[in-house]
Amino acid sequence: MSISTSIWVWIAALLTLMIYSFLYKENPFYRLAEHIFMGLSIGYSVVILWYNYILPRIYEPLFFPPHQWSLIFPILIGMMTFGIFSEKYNWLIKYPLAVYVAGYAGVQIPLQLQTMILRQAEASFLTPDKFTSLFSSFNALLIFAGLVTTLIYFYFSAKREHGLGGASQVGIIFIMIAFGAAFGYTVMARISLLIGRMQFLLQDWLGIM
Amino acid sequence: MIFLLILSFTISAKDTPDDAGGSITINVYNIPEGTEQIELYRLTKGDTLFEEVGLIPIFKGELDDATVTDGVLYLYKATALTPDTVYVAEIKEFASSSPEWFNKSRTSVLLFIALFWVVILVYIQLAKKNPEGLFIRKLPPLEAMDEAVGRATEMGKPVLYVPGIEYITDAGTLASITILAKVGRKVAEYETRIINPHFDPIVMTTAQETLKNAFSEAGRPDAFNKDDVFYLTSEQFGFAAGVDGIMLRERPGAIFLQGYFYAESLILAETGYSIGAIQIAGTNATTQLPFFVAACDYVLLGEEMFAASAYISKEPRLLGSIKGSDLAKSVLLVLIGVGVIFGTFAAIKNVAGNPVYMEIFDRILEFLARTAE
Amino acid sequence: MKKRVPLLITFITGFIIIVSFFVPHRPFGQLETETLIWYAIIFAFTLVIGVDSLVRLHIKHIRKRKKGWWYSIVFFAGFFYCLTIGIISLIQTPNIFQPGTVFFYGYETILIPLQATMFALLAFFVASASYRAFRARNIEATLLLIAAVIVMIGRVPAGYKLWPKLPVIANWIFDVLQIGAMRGILIGVALGAVAMSLRLILGIERTYLS
Repeated sequence: MSISTSIWVWIAALLTLMIYSFLYKENPFYRLAEHIFMGLSIGYSVVILWYNYILPRIYEPLFFPPHQWSLIFPILIGMMTFGIFSEKYNWLIKYPLAVYVAGYAGVQIPLQLQTMILRQAEASFLTPDKFTSLFSSFNALLIFAGLVTTLIYFYFSAKREHGLGGASQVGIIFIMIAFGAAFGYTVMARISLLIGRMQFLLQDWLGIM
Repeated sequence: MIFLLILSFTISAKDTPDDAGGSITINVYNIPEGTEQIELYRLTKGDTLFEEVGLIPIFKGELDDATVTDGVLYLYKATALTPDTVYVAEIKEFASSSPEWFNKSRTSVLLFIALFWVVILVYIQLAKKNPEGLFIRKLPPLEAMDEAVGRATEMGKPVLYVPGIEYITDAGTLASITILAKVGRKVAEYETRIINPHFDPIVMTTAQETLKNAFSEAGRPDAFNKDDVFYLTSEQFGFAAGVDGIMLRERPGAIFLQGYFYAESLILAETGYSIGAIQIAGTNATTQLPFFVAACDYVLLGEEMFAASAYISKEPRLLGSIKGSDLAKSVLLVLIGVGVIFGTFAAIKNVAGNPVYMEIFDRILEFLARTAE
Repeated sequence: MKKRVPLLITFITGFIIIVSFFVPHRPFGQLETETLIWYAIIFAFTLVIGVDSLVRLHIKHIRKRKKGWWYSIVFFAGFFYCLTIGIISLIQTPNIFQPGTVFFYGYETILIPLQATMFALLAFFVASASYRAFRARNIEATLLLIAAVIVMIGRVPAGYKLWPKLPVIANWIFDVLQIGAMRGILIGVALGAVAMSLRLILGIERTYLS
């Protein structure tokens, strides 16, 4: 194997090194890569805007049969966001903002209740099959204790007196262990990302592996 | 081939429940052994010929015929094909589909929403009547915010505020905007500079207005620089690269990472640490909390972020809603607690040979499971 | 008018969307899909604002010859590069994301490696954050660290060689010890989000309309 002759591999390799150079300190190379990245991603979003939004969602449904004239409304609402370009009419943006935010809030309320709160509560029920052995019973109770004390930790309107203070202390212990576990779980995945980049540099670019 | 009409293989058809109409649910029972395929046929009232609808999956024995028209009457017939026989089952009465006005399977969600809504409204009223009566515990990260802005000012360094990489529709982003207003007021008071890069253009325009107001409230409207609130890119790692660049060049004394973050959370927090800034994070992204906890000085954990945004305003109505959320937690705790006691009890009783409790318990679980579908 | 009407719109929109969750009958049942189409269109307009803001900022940098202004030229080079290959591909083929198009190639060879490189930075940062956690400041940080180390080592073959029980303990931490707290946090976040959404619809939370 030998060093790559493809200009694209060279560009990608140099950009990779430029990005990593910032681990040493901020320098013109990193700044160069950063601005290339920024420019590319904005150019990319303009293409996406045209290709994924304007063409299929506005132009085609409006100008080709069956004409979906009702789409005029979201287009008008969307155009109100352009109000911010003028000092006088910048309050216009509050209308699309209201529609946008309220719509998602309306979706979120039942969805969060159904998929998060009620489902997590259901999963926390101690069903008889969780008591098949002494160890599994112990585990089930431990999970339960973790849940209860964590919920108590997130009580904001009660003073941390009597049992509550102690319970929320236990809660934070469970929370920290949970964070540690999640942290430890991710480490290897992140390292494999780096191995991927190293492979690109050593194999595809330099051809020494 | 012999056509056999035997009793054991039967079919039923009923309007699909909880839907917008246009669908009839077909069930077949007692599928003969060795059945290789079950075909479904349909006769529209007034017609003379059966038309094929499709195949009923054998393992399920159920099919939703979603090609029907509401109000039209249909007769169904299923044939089960075994290597040597064809079994036929037919429904006796016509079936039709209709849309429903209420999705019964979501009753418990409705109950919870109604309960939550009422509780919050009640507490808001109570809070309005007696604002002093409301206690909300202190949140150290929130207390530390002023101090962080102060320290940045002393060092003659700017403050960096990153509102996460979600849209304005995310609850975390909205909470972040409220926290931004608080930080902005302090920044204006201390006559410091605030740099505020954005991932979403709408969040950017909202932040611009929020900061402009914050500077006005602090009596320094002229000090607000609109150019310091800018859009970077909507590309996750492009945004991370841009913010990292800003951190290294501008060397902010205090960094606020408040909002919804993804994998870039640790890239930002570690770069911030490396330049020696005091960092206060807060996120409703539970997967990123561990990284913020490891790398930042203070962190608003999940729900604390929402509580913080209500706490800042000190408005009784907002504080009342925190109280409401807490009560909802109590209700859940009681519910789960009852489930635990009942489950344990049922398990013991079941072992002891009394399945009645078990059945009640199963019913409760079934109700919840249906809800969570 | 400038604030009250948006608040009214917020209430009505939010309420109708909640109702549509429970009512399958027309027109409510279709509402969610319909609104998603509408929102995608509104979203398209907001993208224009973003691009405008950034392009303006960089033009300003170049005009005023601000420190490091030539990086803004680099920005425009990247911007026009992506735009050009996008336009060429659009003329060539109806599906520009198909492998083989100029756009796909340009994107694949430059933007993807840049993203992957930034993402892979996490390997360094996970290491530095762990190192710092080693000098745990308090009992909570220590707990985080212990759990992290056990899970981390328990998940790799070396962990088993070190002590065969290690993977078992790691799994126990992951399957038992952390579950309760994670559920609690998730429930808390969801409750907070529901409360926030309710406050929005009721018009109590309105900073975003400032």
